[in-house]
Amino acid sequence: MTRFRATLLMAALSTTVLATAPAFAETVLRLDEVPVGEIDPAKATDYADSILMFNVYDTLVQPSAGKPGMDPMLAASWTVDGNVYTFTLRDDVKFHSGNPLTAEDVVYSYDRMIALGQGFSHLFAESVEKVEATDPKTVKFTLKGPFSPFLASLVRLPVVDSKLARSHQAEGKYGAFGDYSEAWLSANDAGSGAYVVESQNPQAETALAKFPGYFLGATPKSPDKVKFRYGLEASTVRALLAKGEHDIASQWLPPEVAKALAADDTMQLLTEVGTNVFYIKLNTAKAPLDDVHCRRALTYAFDYATAAKMIAVTDKVSLGNPANGPIPKGMLGSTTTVPDYAQDMEKAKAELAQCKYNPAETPLEISWIAEVPLEERFALLMQANFSQLGFKPEVKRVPWALFTEMVTKPETTPNISQISNSATTPDPDSLLFNTYHSSAKGTWQSPEYLEDAEVDKLLEAGRAETDPAKRQKIYEDLSQRLRDLAPTIYAYDQVAVFPARKAVTVPALSDDAHRYALSAFGFTFRDMEMAQ
Amino acid sequence: MSNILRSLLHRLGAALIVMIGISMLIFAIARVMPGDPARIALGPNATAEQVAALRLERHLDAPLPVQYWEFVKSVATGDLGKSLYTNRPVTTDIAQFLPATLELVFVSGILMVLIGLPIGILSAHYRGRFPDHVGRLISLLGVCTPAFVWGVILQLVLGYFWGWFPIEGQLSQSVTAAPAVTGFMLVDMAIAGNGAGFLDALHHLILPALALAMSGLGQTARLTRSNMNEVYERPYVEMARAYGFPARRIATRYAFRPALIPTLTILGLEFAAMLGNAFLVEKVFGWPGLSRYGVEVILRKDLDAIVGTVLVIAAAFLIVNIIVDILVNIINPRIRLAAGRA
Repeated sequence: MTRFRATLLMAALSTTVLATAPAFAETVLRLDEVPVGEIDPAKATDYADSILMFNVYDTLVQPSAGKPGMDPMLAASWTVDGNVYTFTLRDDVKFHSGNPLTAEDVVYSYDRMIALGQGFSHLFAESVEKVEATDPKTVKFTLKGPFSPFLASLVRLPVVDSKLARSHQAEGKYGAFGDYSEAWLSANDAGSGAYVVESQNPQAETALAKFPGYFLGATPKSPDKVKFRYGLEASTVRALLAKGEHDIASQWLPPEVAKALAADDTMQLLTEVGTNVFYIKLNTAKAPLDDVHCRRALTYAFDYATAAKMIAVTDKVSLGNPANGPIPKGMLGSTTTVPDYAQDMEKAKAELAQCKYNPAETPLEISWIAEVPLEERFALLMQANFSQLGFKPEVKRVPWALFTEMVTKPETTPNISQISNSATTPDPDSLLFNTYHSSAKGTWQSPEYLEDAEVDKLLEAGRAETDPAKRQKIYEDLSQRLRDLAPTIYAYDQVAVFPARKAVTVPALSDDAHRYALSAFGFTFRDMEMAQ
Repeated sequence: MSNILRSLLHRLGAALIVMIGISMLIFAIARVMPGDPARIALGPNATAEQVAALRLERHLDAPLPVQYWEFVKSVATGDLGKSLYTNRPVTTDIAQFLPATLELVFVSGILMVLIGLPIGILSAHYRGRFPDHVGRLISLLGVCTPAFVWGVILQLVLGYFWGWFPIEGQLSQSVTAAPAVTGFMLVDMAIAGNGAGFLDALHHLILPALALAMSGLGQTARLTRSNMNEVYERPYVEMARAYGFPARRIATRYAFRPALIPTLTILGLEFAAMLGNAFLVEKVFGWPGLSRYGVEVILRKDLDAIVGTVLVIAAAFLIVNIIVDILVNIINPRIRLAAGRA
């Protein structure tokens, strides 16, 4: 009897397996990220949020593929008259609801983002004076002053279907706009993007389906459905990939797992370059690194070659490419004519000889962020490198939450700290202004506490100048000035590595001609191709 | 008023005081952790003004007693605040994530009883013989191996290598979730009359539930065994043997019932503890539960969500303890009478 029951149970379970086996022609892309997946476009901040934002919503402009600059998206064209940007909208765009796109939608989206004060609203709050719909197809942005990164910032202003959103608004503190549909938009979409949200669980999964009426179309083999999972454990992702039950892993898999997966013939390593940097930040407001010669000595003493070995995933793919300055190669302002950094102990000793501090007598604190184990290895490498100059460095583990408090004052900021930074827009201003401008001190981005009139002047000129060629020159000059001042050791240009099955083709993460200088934009699902 | 009812009211009153104490404690502890919750919530690129505005909105700059009073006022209206982690009301999050964990813990509890108790009974019955050795080995392995290690082992062996069970998740890719009525996947599938979906959800539940149950299962088996061995040496069992009662009747009727009381207490505690301890199992199996949510919100210093989650888990602890007490009362008349006299 018992055996009969057991057989029955196994039969029932097998039936389930058979009954639920995929028997459809539609393709499903499965990928993962760290939680949460925020689908409210005015609250998006993280990588997962950005992927959702770029697929569910559209923006007025989009980054150009394979080169710096911006292309039209929802805007058919635009004109710039001093501080006034006027956009003419396309007339063939329909939201998922069927409502046509109007200038009112752009104004609503902007007002909503500023009112909520979250997500990327900081990109606009300080630079934009007002936004108006001059007619149903024309929207005018008036800036408070010259701010040329504005156009690039628009990739962070997703346009919401205002009619749909307002039909779901609840009571709230925003007057006539109630709760600005906050509750509804956290679980539903009001976008015009190539994918529609089918279901949303911010801790587990967002399910998306291709939007057939998308105005820009999609490659024929782009995934019909997308299962975007959150918080999967590395071992689980590895098992799923090996069984063919997952397609693209997140960039947060341990390098050894990525390496093991890459050895499989059915796997590939997708990469995102040109958007992220790994900076080793030197506190210029505290001894001994308030002396430029001491800082330069450390810059020369750092062992870039060993660092490169530490982050290698395979012979060909690494978590970083050699850097030659503050701007990652591929972004506006970067250059290939300057040589990459390399260790030179002779120059390091020569610089140290000019430093007013005795390295043996001045404490040197090297911090690493507790949540990023790789930084501990870098801290130990620096400890070994700088000891050769006579320093007695102390390595200190600091949790992120504590670090953000420590950096608010120069005296509590460690001598050396390590930060990975991501360009929030495809413009060098988003990386450099908040790091090096003297008005931007006291944040996690600016533990350098740099105070330099020349740097300030160049950063401000970069914001004021609109001609791309002149801006290129300004940022090249700025990079040179920063190389001379050495407030940061530019350890490497970061590369995000995503182990993936070869069954999915992602040109924006594998082919230089299709790459975007905007983090997460490479995950535009409509450009991907799935093997049938 | 019956003794049981009086005892129940007494315990409910005590539970309320415990809940108030816990809420004060966790409220204070969450606020002394390092880091600014507003800064963490708004992300690294937010401006100082944005951070200040959020701090003001959440009363984060007010003195602790004022903050606590605001919290109590909100709780009285059923509002546990807003999660800075998911940007949603904490009650929405708990309503979404708690059923998944409860379902997991409930099935784990069933497995603990269905596997742990028989192992314990068999071990005691065959004391010092082969079944006892096997039973003790299983219970020892269960107790001393952490749940997440069991998770990875079961996932690899039964899911990856043998392919008997799914590796992770609550449902297969091709199965559409039933409309959420209760939030419990199995129950919702049953309500929707989706038999295949119900079996698929059950199929997904077995591995994580077993991984989570292993420790409690071992504990239950060991405790049942030692308690039953003790009871076997009592004079009344000796007498039953002398009367020639069958060994099975002695084991199940005379030895097992008194041996069950301490086991039941441990089972209750294990069951409640699993609510909080399921984190790593939920992580390994991609299970969207409250336990995983609880850890994520602690890491992000999400104050309202920390307090809400801890209160829910504490309430579950207290409720399970009260249920265990009632069950023990029913099983053992002496405790019932003693409680009544007290």
